[in-house]
Amino acid sequence: MQPLANITPIKPAARAGAVQLGGVGLVYKTSGQDVVAVSDVSIEVKPGRFAVLVGPSGCGKSSLLMMMAGLRHQTSGAISINGAPIEVPDPDRVGVVFQEPSLFPWLTAEENVEFPLTLRGVSKQERRAKAEEALQLVGLDGFGKRHPHELSGGMKQRVSIARGLVQDPPVLLMDEPFAALDEQTRMTMGDELLRIWAATGKTIVFVTHSLTEAVYLADEVIVMSARPGRIVDRLEVALPRPRTFEMLSGDAFGSLRDRIWRHIRKSA
Amino acid sequence: MRMRRPVSTLAWQVLICVAVLSIWQWGYGLHGSFPWLVPDLLDPYFVSKPSEIFGQFLILGCFKSKLGAFNGWFNGDFARCMARTENNLWIATAVTLKNTFFGFLAGVSSGFAAGLVLGRSDRLSAIFQPFITAVNSIPRIALAPIIVLAFGIGDMSKVVTSWIVVVFLVFFNTFEGARSIDEGFVNVARLLGASEWQITRTVVIPSTMAWVFASLSPAISFALIGVIVGEFIGAERGIGRLIIESEARAEASGMMVAVIVLMLVGVALSALIWRLQAYLLRWQQHNMVE
Ligand SMILES: Nc1ncnc2c1ncn2[C@@H]1O[C@H](COP(=O)(O)OP(=O)(O)O)[C@@H](O)[C@H]1O
Ligand SMILES: [Mg+2]
Repeated sequence: MQPLANITPIKPAARAGAVQLGGVGLVYKTSGQDVVAVSDVSIEVKPGRFAVLVGPSGCGKSSLLMMMAGLRHQTSGAISINGAPIEVPDPDRVGVVFQEPSLFPWLTAEENVEFPLTLRGVSKQERRAKAEEALQLVGLDGFGKRHPHELSGGMKQRVSIARGLVQDPPVLLMDEPFAALDEQTRMTMGDELLRIWAATGKTIVFVTHSLTEAVYLADEVIVMSARPGRIVDRLEVALPRPRTFEMLSGDAFGSLRDRIWRHIRKSA
Repeated sequence: MRMRRPVSTLAWQVLICVAVLSIWQWGYGLHGSFPWLVPDLLDPYFVSKPSEIFGQFLILGCFKSKLGAFNGWFNGDFARCMARTENNLWIATAVTLKNTFFGFLAGVSSGFAAGLVLGRSDRLSAIFQPFITAVNSIPRIALAPIIVLAFGIGDMSKVVTSWIVVVFLVFFNTFEGARSIDEGFVNVARLLGASEWQITRTVVIPSTMAWVFASLSPAISFALIGVIVGEFIGAERGIGRLIIESEARAEASGMMVAVIVLMLVGVALSALIWRLQAYLLRWQQHNMVE
C-alpha cells in the first residue's frame, strides 16, 4: 500500500500517538440519581498499537471513548493524547468512527470525507486530493460521487473510516464500528481495518462486544467490569501478524478468548 | 418511477373532459324543455360557456378587437391594442405573477429565517410562542383590507398580503424541521470540529430542507391567493382586477378566462416547485434496501 503521497508530508514519528488515561472517572448528573459511568480508569496505549476495549453492555466504553474524543469532559482524572490533554474535539489529533456510519445523507461519499477539511477552509483542490486518497485507502475507489443511500452498510462504514482518516490524525477511536454489519461483512471489514492500520501505522482504540473480534484484531485487550466501569484485566495478544482465519480455531486464540469471557461473566 | 398510463385511464379522462365541456356548452339549451333536469346554475349568464370564454380570451388577449376582427401582428393592431388596454390578459398575468413571486420570496425567506432561529433556540421559542399562536389564529386574509389601506392600491399591498399568508406556513414547517434534527448529525459535525455557525450551515439547513419544501407547494398557492384577494380589494392591474372588472359588467366569460388563466398559472408554479424539490432533495430518493 502506498503511503499517503502528495498530501502534506507526514513524519513517521508524527503518524501515531500515545493515548494516556490516568484515574479517569465520569459521573452523569441526571434529574434522579447520579450515574457513575466510569471509575478510576487508567490506560496507556503506546504509539502505533491496536488496543481493544471490551466489557459488558453499559459499562462505560462509549463514555470513555467520548472523553478521549473531547466530546465529553471527565469528572476526575486526566486524559492526554499525543502528549497533550484533550479538552475539545480536535480532529487533527483524534479521528472517530461510530457504530452508525453517521454520514450526512445530503452529501456524496466524497463530500462526506472532505467534510472535516471543508470546515477548516482547505482549498477545494487539496480536499479532493485528500478525499480521493482516503477513499482509495479504504478500498472505495470510484464510489466518491455516490450518496450514502446508494452504498451498502459496509461501504458506508468504509466512508466513515475514510472521513476519520482524512486529516491523518495520529489516533483513531472506533466505537463498535462493525456491530451493525452482518457476520461476513464484519469479518472482511476486520481484515480491511488491519490492512489500513498496517498501511498508516496509527494508534487505534477499538471498542467491541465481540470477543472473537477483540482477540483477532488486538495487540492488547483491555477488559472492563460492569458499571461503574473499571479495568479488570489487560492481555497482550501475542499471536503473529498478519492474522489469519485459521488462527480463530487455534488453542492460543481460544484460551485468550476464554480468559476474557471469564472476566465478563463474573462481572455481569 | 414513471409508469405508462393505461389506455383506458386516458380514454376515461378524455371522455370526462368532453362530457363536461359539452354539458357546459349545450346543456342549458335543454333547460326550457326539461327544467327539472338542468339546474339554473348552468345559465351562461352565471357560468358562460366554452365558446364564449374562448372568444373573450381572444379579445382580452388582444388577438381580436371587440368588433370581432383579428388584430394583425404585422400591421401593428396587436401592439396598438396592447398599448391601449392597460389591464389586458398579458399585463394582468404578468403583474399578478410578479407580485406572487415577490410575496412568495419574501414569505419563504423570512419564514425560513425565523423558523430556523426559533427552532434552534429553546429560549426564544419559549418567549415568542404565545405571540405566534395568537397571530397565527387570525385568518390572514382578514388583514387584506387593512394592508391595502396602509400600502395603497399599487403592487406593494399585494406583495405584503401575499407575504403575510405565506410566512407562517413556511415558518411553522421550518420550525418543526429545525426541532426534529437528528442530534447525532450535530454531534458528528461538532466532533469533526464544526463551529455553531458551521453546524447551522452544514447540518441544520440541509436537514430542514425536506420540511421547508413540504411547505413550498401550498405556499405558492397561498401566495397567489394573497395577491388575488389584494387585487379584489383595490388594484389598477392584475388578474384579480380583471375578475372584478368583468363582474362589474356582468360578463361571466371574462371571469372564466381569468379563472382558467389562474388555474394554468397555479399548475405551472406547482410543477416548478416539484422540479426544484426533486433536484435539491435528490439525495433523499430511492433509499437502498440493505
Ligand atoms: N447522557 C447520559 N446520561 C445519563 N446516563 C448515561 C448517559 N450516557 C450513558 N449513560 C449511562 O452510562 C453508562 C455507560 O454508558 P455507555 O458508555 O454508553 O456504555 P457502553 O458503551 O459500554 O455500553 C450506562 O449505564 C448508561 O446508562
Ligand atoms: Mg456503547
